[in-house]
Amino acid sequence: MKIYVKAAVTFSDDQVTLNGEPVAIQQEEGKSWLANIYYSLGVQYPKFFKMDNLCKAGFLASEMLMGKLGSVPEEPKRDWSVILMSHSGSLDDDTAYQETIQSSDNYFPSPAVFVYTLSNIVTGEIAIRHKLMGESSCFITEKYDVQTAYELAQNGFLPEKGITHMIFGWCEYMDGHTDVRMFVLTTDATDAIGEWKGA
Amino acid sequence: MSELIENLKNEIIEALNLEGMSPADIDENAALFNGGDPSVAGLGLDSIDALELIVLMERNYGIKLKNASEGKEIFRSVATMAEYISKNRTK
Repeated sequence: MKIYVKAAVTFSDDQVTLNGEPVAIQQEEGKSWLANIYYSLGVQYPKFFKMDNLCKAGFLASEMLMGKLGSVPEEPKRDWSVILMSHSGSLDDDTAYQETIQSSDNYFPSPAVFVYTLSNIVTGEIAIRHKLMGESSCFITEKYDVQTAYELAQNGFLPEKGITHMIFGWCEYMDGHTDVRMFVLTTDATDAIGEWKGA
Repeated sequence: MSELIENLKNEIIEALNLEGMSPADIDENAALFNGGDPSVAGLGLDSIDALELIVLMERNYGIKLKNASEGKEIFRSVATMAEYISKNRTK
């Protein structure tokens, strides 16, 4: 099965690209890098501010990808899955939650932080936002490995279930560092920007 | 009471990450929860927000809710929260 890419997004700590082209991000003092991306994109989704940083990164990347395709978030998409890989998963939020229960003298576990202490929440948030009805999974791997990525994507397309599109890629946030490489992949070459072989 | 209401508004904005909101944007008599009905004016908080408000009351005012059924009335608005806090606070 050939896989094609329709859109690609990358985030580093100081740059955002869409289909290889840099995207201008207005840097406002006092706001986090991810919040600056949110405001620069002009997104209206108040739940964003309740998300942990992993979800914020994945959410913003998916907004850019789906926006590039002209997708309407509210329309159900039965032929779409979302599969991501990450090194740290939800560890950044896990650590934040641990801090709320670290001391017996100041023991106030935060429900809002706790609900993000699971790596799969990032794919769930994306699936909810864009009504992606196929598989939703986040795999923990040491690094972005091209062969592993390609095999995961191959396995994610399920012809018998009619899955022909996928938000796929690498989504990492830890200790203030963002590393995102996400794609819209498809088995349909129409409107694709090229064949995808895992990189 | 007005000082408590103002403090409470600030604490709610911080605890619930209500980005872009200021105390002036919150009507102390408006519903905190709309039960998923967008036609009901208010903050439109959800069930996780409710749990955060319970933690906020315990952490900041030393109030531990013993009866969950009381919550519906206590968390009806900022004003009802402030009234309950003023009568039951231990710190």
